[in-house]
Amino acid sequence: MTGALTWGLLATALAAIAVRRRSTAIVLVALQSVGLGVYALGNGHHSSRALAVAAAIFTVKAVALPALLLLTVRGAPKRRLLANESPALPRLIAALAAGLAIEQLIPSFGVTDPGIEHAAVGMLALGIGIAVVRRAVMFQALGFLIAENGIYLAGLSLPGGLPGFIELGLAFDLVVTLSVAAAFATKIHETLGSGDTSVLDALRD
Amino acid sequence: MTDVLLTAVPLTPVIGAAAVRFARTPRSVDRLSALVATVTALIALAASVLGAIHDPHGLHGSWWVLDRAGAAFLAVIAVIGWCSAIASGPYLAGEGKGLFSARRARAWYHSAFFLFWAALLALALAKNLGVAWLLIEATTGASALLVAYTGRRNALEAGWKYLVLTTFGLAIALLGIFILFAGLAPHGGGLATLDWRTIARGAPALDHRTALFALVLILVGLAAKIGWAPIHNWLPDAHSQAPPPISALLSGALLPTVMLVAWRLVLTLGHGAAGNLGDHLLLAFGLASLAIAVPFLWRPMPWKRLLAYSSLEHMGILALGIGFASPLATVGVIVHLAGHALAKSLGFYAAIPLQRHYPESAERPPRGLARLSPAVGTAAGVSLATLGGLPPSPLFLSELLILLGGVAAHQIAVVCIAAVLLALGFLGLAHTLIETLAGESHGRPWPVGRTVRLTARLTVAAVIGLLALSVVGYLLVGAHLGPTLMGGVT
Repeated sequence: MTGALTWGLLATALAAIAVRRRSTAIVLVALQSVGLGVYALGNGHHSSRALAVAAAIFTVKAVALPALLLLTVRGAPKRRLLANESPALPRLIAALAAGLAIEQLIPSFGVTDPGIEHAAVGMLALGIGIAVVRRAVMFQALGFLIAENGIYLAGLSLPGGLPGFIELGLAFDLVVTLSVAAAFATKIHETLGSGDTSVLDALRD
Repeated sequence: MTDVLLTAVPLTPVIGAAAVRFARTPRSVDRLSALVATVTALIALAASVLGAIHDPHGLHGSWWVLDRAGAAFLAVIAVIGWCSAIASGPYLAGEGKGLFSARRARAWYHSAFFLFWAALLALALAKNLGVAWLLIEATTGASALLVAYTGRRNALEAGWKYLVLTTFGLAIALLGIFILFAGLAPHGGGLATLDWRTIARGAPALDHRTALFALVLILVGLAAKIGWAPIHNWLPDAHSQAPPPISALLSGALLPTVMLVAWRLVLTLGHGAAGNLGDHLLLAFGLASLAIAVPFLWRPMPWKRLLAYSSLEHMGILALGIGFASPLATVGVIVHLAGHALAKSLGFYAAIPLQRHYPESAERPPRGLARLSPAVGTAAGVSLATLGGLPPSPLFLSELLILLGGVAAHQIAVVCIAAVLLALGFLGLAHTLIETLAGESHGRPWPVGRTVRLTARLTVAAVIGLLALSVVGYLLVGAHLGPTLMGGVT
């Protein structure tokens, strides 16, 4: 079960690097969050409080945030392809190479299942990779969500899990950060007529 | 009673953030904002006095810890926050529609400002690393919106860059915190596992590799938020594009307060299983920041961008002071923190009339301010002279103390490199100071309006504060304060 889950989580992160449409990437990340939510709800720590916290985070990550991002995308239609974006295969290879390198660099850190550790670090690296190789504002925001999902996976797998306060704090933080990112995406689109971050390059010394 | 007082410190601006949304006119928003800011600053200053005079082991409460270092940081955040709140009214009077709709822009600005300030105040008091991380993230959300407040293309670029770089940096720090958590509580634990004192107690028993990786990941993540080189790319952009009162708060309060978290981490974790790696990392960040900042202090730059690179330089100096970990350097860090905050924020407040009367200052360096506006020229002069470390500036004393602390810590090579870089930085700023005040200027002298009068008043207050700080600095040298500063977390 764990192996299938971790491969599924990594596959959705990789697919988010490759797909062209923002809405498809959002759906993929929502699916990733559903997988994580199922893992959290089925994880060993079965007090009613832990289940309530897991359910709340599932709702935020798998439903509320994807809905917010989809609404943002609907309000900011992409009128043209991003000029500076590299084709899918090279960016997939670049992100995969960076992810594997980082994954090899970070040693085992105490999670019970080594597979989970690898998946968590891999997702963090792929999230950062998405922000580097994808030019659209929305993809960079999704990169953060994927990276955070990776760290959340590591947290869930710690012996005894994470303190509920930290779990809820992380979810609240995600809501705030992605709401601010959505506000930026809308304004950048309004101002530049595109969500292409490569045109945001006026500030250089 | 103390618990109520300390909880009121961040709670008051949070209430203020909600209250300003109900004010109807711009004037009422400004008045309410000034009232909330004054009450917040008074409560925070009362708390910091309490922390300063209490026993060296600090005060401990439900979610907070207040030791002498925390008290000093709290006082600095309170003063800079209050000044920024007061300066915001005159700044906003000259701004129209921006990131927010024109009708509600002012209320949104003050709401975000108070939430940002509240998170900063709470951060200086947080007794738990996990809570501190959440508060640092909270500062990002509010301050990113404020950086992009004008809604201009460059401001959006700066705000977005700030948001992306710092959130990813903090994500890396979060992984480090989880690694630390797993190491400290191998069979599970609660929130208290990440209390500073629990970390200090558990650090010696931590597995060497766990401690090492946790420390590196958390420090690197925090470095992205502090703006230490080479992870500083957002800093010059955000500081130069944000509204001046926000730039002052970012530079004078946010960067050092996140550094306080790094400092506490190094003190609690860095000297245990991780050896002295924390100190060495801080020295590396410090030297890299100085080396990258100094060449920019020699280049003719727009006023706020110059101040931003100066922030990079001073964060480097503070990193060196913490990394030397000697009593002299520690006293130097506290004096430097306060002196830098006062001088840098004065420089940013001077940018309010500067931008109003000389809009080109956003693109090119100002010249001949002494002729155009003696009040603004004096503010710019005091700010630059202090930041350059010209005696009797408290930064002269603090830099000297930090370097002497480095000698005491037997870091002679680092001290020599830092001294050369500081001297070069001083020369660069001295040249800029002369050009800014006495360079060739065109146009008629500026009228003495509201923003110029405000700058003049803030200059008088800053000069008094800086002179007082110089005196306090000299008194602190013999006070053996260093070892007791962080009594609350070790």
